[in-house]
Amino acid sequence: MTAADHAVRAGAVSKAMVAHAIAPRAGGRPWTFYVLLTVFVLYVLALYGPMICIYILSFQDVRGGLVFPMKGFSLHWFVDLFTQVRTGDVKGSFDRSVKLAAIVTVITVVVSFLAGMAFRRRFRGDGIVFYLMIGSLVAPGLVLSIGVGLLMHFIGVEGRWYTTAVGAQLSWTLPFGVLVMFAVMSRFDRAWEEAAYDLGATRWQAIRLVVIPILAPGIVAVALFGFTLSYDEFARTLQTAGSLNTLPLEIWTMTLNVTSPSLYALGTITTIVSFTIIIACLGSIALIQKRRASRVPAY
Amino acid sequence: MAARDRIFGWVYVSPLLLVLVPFFVAPLLVVIAASFFESDGFGGLIANPTLGNYVDIFTSALTFNLYLETIKFTVLTWFFSLIIGFWIAYFLVFHVRSPLLGIGLFLLCTVPFWTSNIIRMISWIPLLGKEGLINMSLIKLGVVHEPLEFLLFSSFSVVVAYVHQLTIFMVVPIFNAMARIDKRVVEAALDAGASRFDIVRLIVLPLSKNGIALGSIFVVSIVMGDFFVIKVMSGGGSASVVGALYEDVGVLQYPSAAASAVLLTIVVTLLVTAILRTVDVRKEIAR
Amino acid sequence: MDLGPGHIELAGVVKSFDGFVSAVDGVNIKIPDGSYCCLLGPSGCGKTTILRMIAGHEDPTAGEILIGGENVVGLPPVARRTAMMFQSYALFPHLSVRDNVAFALRVRGISKAERHKASDAMMEKVRLTEFADRLPAQLSGGQQQRVALARAAITEPRVLLLDEPLSALDEHLRIQMRQELRYMQRELGITFVHVTHTQLEAIALADLVVVMEKGKIRQAGPARDVYASPKDRYVAGFLGGQNVLSGKVQTVNGHVAVVAAPTGTGITVPLTPGIHVDKGDSIAIAVRRDDVELVRPGAAAADGTASVPGRVTAIEYQGYFVKVMLDAGGDEDFVVYVSERKFFGNPLGVGDAVLATWPVDVARLLH
Repeated sequence: MTAADHAVRAGAVSKAMVAHAIAPRAGGRPWTFYVLLTVFVLYVLALYGPMICIYILSFQDVRGGLVFPMKGFSLHWFVDLFTQVRTGDVKGSFDRSVKLAAIVTVITVVVSFLAGMAFRRRFRGDGIVFYLMIGSLVAPGLVLSIGVGLLMHFIGVEGRWYTTAVGAQLSWTLPFGVLVMFAVMSRFDRAWEEAAYDLGATRWQAIRLVVIPILAPGIVAVALFGFTLSYDEFARTLQTAGSLNTLPLEIWTMTLNVTSPSLYALGTITTIVSFTIIIACLGSIALIQKRRASRVPAY
Repeated sequence: MAARDRIFGWVYVSPLLLVLVPFFVAPLLVVIAASFFESDGFGGLIANPTLGNYVDIFTSALTFNLYLETIKFTVLTWFFSLIIGFWIAYFLVFHVRSPLLGIGLFLLCTVPFWTSNIIRMISWIPLLGKEGLINMSLIKLGVVHEPLEFLLFSSFSVVVAYVHQLTIFMVVPIFNAMARIDKRVVEAALDAGASRFDIVRLIVLPLSKNGIALGSIFVVSIVMGDFFVIKVMSGGGSASVVGALYEDVGVLQYPSAAASAVLLTIVVTLLVTAILRTVDVRKEIAR
Repeated sequence: MDLGPGHIELAGVVKSFDGFVSAVDGVNIKIPDGSYCCLLGPSGCGKTTILRMIAGHEDPTAGEILIGGENVVGLPPVARRTAMMFQSYALFPHLSVRDNVAFALRVRGISKAERHKASDAMMEKVRLTEFADRLPAQLSGGQQQRVALARAAITEPRVLLLDEPLSALDEHLRIQMRQELRYMQRELGITFVHVTHTQLEAIALADLVVVMEKGKIRQAGPARDVYASPKDRYVAGFLGGQNVLSGKVQTVNGHVAVVAAPTGTGITVPLTPGIHVDKGDSIAIAVRRDDVELVRPGAAAADGTASVPGRVTAIEYQGYFVKVMLDAGGDEDFVVYVSERKFFGNPLGVGDAVLATWPVDVARLLH
């Protein structure tokens, strides 16, 4: 029974009132709709507009500068980016960023999943762990970065992009991952797990054959967060990456030094990578949900 | 079975702790410790406990001005991102008929979040600069005769950049909270004679309080903790607390940087706790 | 003595979740092998908890549970050779019908070819073969139930436990699926324990009806016994179909007692062996609703009948019978089921005064 049916049953609302309320409005939409629609469109334009300017400008002609108008179209700056030494170690830092993001993604998915499983029941100290996580999320990135740097200094460990930066980035991606897992697991019906046990599955079999497949969309979402947050992470990586830069750090250096559209070209490329990952993840989530969605009337 | 579950709870959560402790708890403790040390002038620390750093900070007019400046930006950003974010979320939840379309548009808004924010920041230059698109169009249209200077490298551009980046942090939790409101309640209220504004005031707003609080926590903590947006977008004209921190680190003044960091962390924690008092965040998230 | 593999016995079973209140409070019952048993009662009476304890998803705080003569307390569900059908069916949304049904075999390491064969055979039995490749979300409620049944039955359990299997279906489907369950139970030949709060469902399906209230068993027996011969007030009231009158015993005379009803008139009731009454005791009487005949005042009451006067408060047409509700002085309405033809031969109206009469022998004393 729907909420409306309940309301009618309870006599609170007459059937006629509910029918009228749910029926499609006879006329068009209220004027507020058009106002808000305009606001929304402007917002989306403002969101994507600046980025699109960059993408367009990255195809700037050789003679062109950092701003409009476009003097012509060329791929000059893309080539410039990868060949000129003065524009920085783009290829190397790009490489490192992707590898780092991959490592962070895998760890984020596994750890978030485990933590999500842990938080299904209350356990002693679960409040502390929860607030630690929130704290890690809101703490200023630079402060943590400095802290890790100092810590490394004291212990005598060198900062490296594949060790200390991984940990620093995880302190940012894990809270997101765990929060997503919270949301996903709260919709997970324990009955599925119990049914699996009932049919003879061991704890590990139940997790492998039932829990993980059903939670797959959520896990993909966590992977999406893990990858993109790591790939774009800057503040926490700043002090912990060691001598070799990741892409955001490289971009930062370039921002301060380089004054040509090759920076825009870099922006375009890095965004293409991000978009590819985003579309791949969102696409697979949509696909899974579509397959499992109900298409049959209740009867 | 319950006892077994409790043990499993701890086993499952230990990897999380394995990351959080060395990369969150420990660094914070180290920073706190370092704030009580002296600098040897060359980036090293002398283990001579002193409150000197804190004295310097509290007696310095610079600190006060820095915080004033940073809080100014925080409040402005929070205000604008809240207004815009609220109405965007409202539009997506209440005016978009098909839930699928609503989610699609919502995702459309979140996608930029997943791209590099440094790139998004520099992308303002061709738009707002003296020779940028906006100025050129305004001049062409004859609205102004000279390019508007304040559009870029000013407080205005800092707020614009922040709001541009952070509105999504408001939209997401508010969208979440609004989506849980039973639409039929709203429609029945409409039918009973309430105006749309009444509904926003009496039904939607109170029920989105949790989302607003969550979004505010994100916005406040990110702005207070930022240093590169303000540095770039103000062209060096404005400073921030963390920006000064960064400079201190640049000259290897770790202890004073640490003390500054501790003070900032306390301030941010107080703000976040104050916001948390208005809502039970854990219940909201875990639902 | 061979009780049969699916014979279930609960001895002194107690379950308390918090140490204070007992969800199940000392339950003793024997369920014969191969029978259909319904645990009937309102929400919170402990019936689902008992089911889960038999299944092994909960452990009793005290007492023994024996299946086929062996104590199973402490054994995990899979070791008990029981299978459970969940209220929401809990079909795995990411697996096809065939894979759902074959799941139990998969976790036992049986090869794909073999388990698909077994799964196909089982689907044949429940007539689901054409849906083999569909996902649960693409099936109707009735079809989902059959998948849940097949999935549970493939392990060849000796007991099948059903947790309110029909609650999720609408009225029409519920009645249809009832017969499916009965048919499956006969086919499989195993013990079914079915939890429900719907009285008519329980008496339609079960060989053994167990009526529960607040963690205790009030009455257990064949459906007819429980419905037509309830032992106490609660069972009489819960099963419906009975009017319960309270009063004080005026006289005890050989094998009958005369009880003063609230209206003051004396009602003669045969004594039930096993219930001891003395003059002055407060006692309850049950009279079947369809045993009562309504007579206009003034007409003489026939010999050998007891009666109470009343006033008609409501009349409900129910198709083949008419439900007439009277105010006979008690707390609750006195309800009479009059056959439709009889009623419309001499219809009553709301507010009419009538005399409700019944043969003395059909009334019963209750605990």
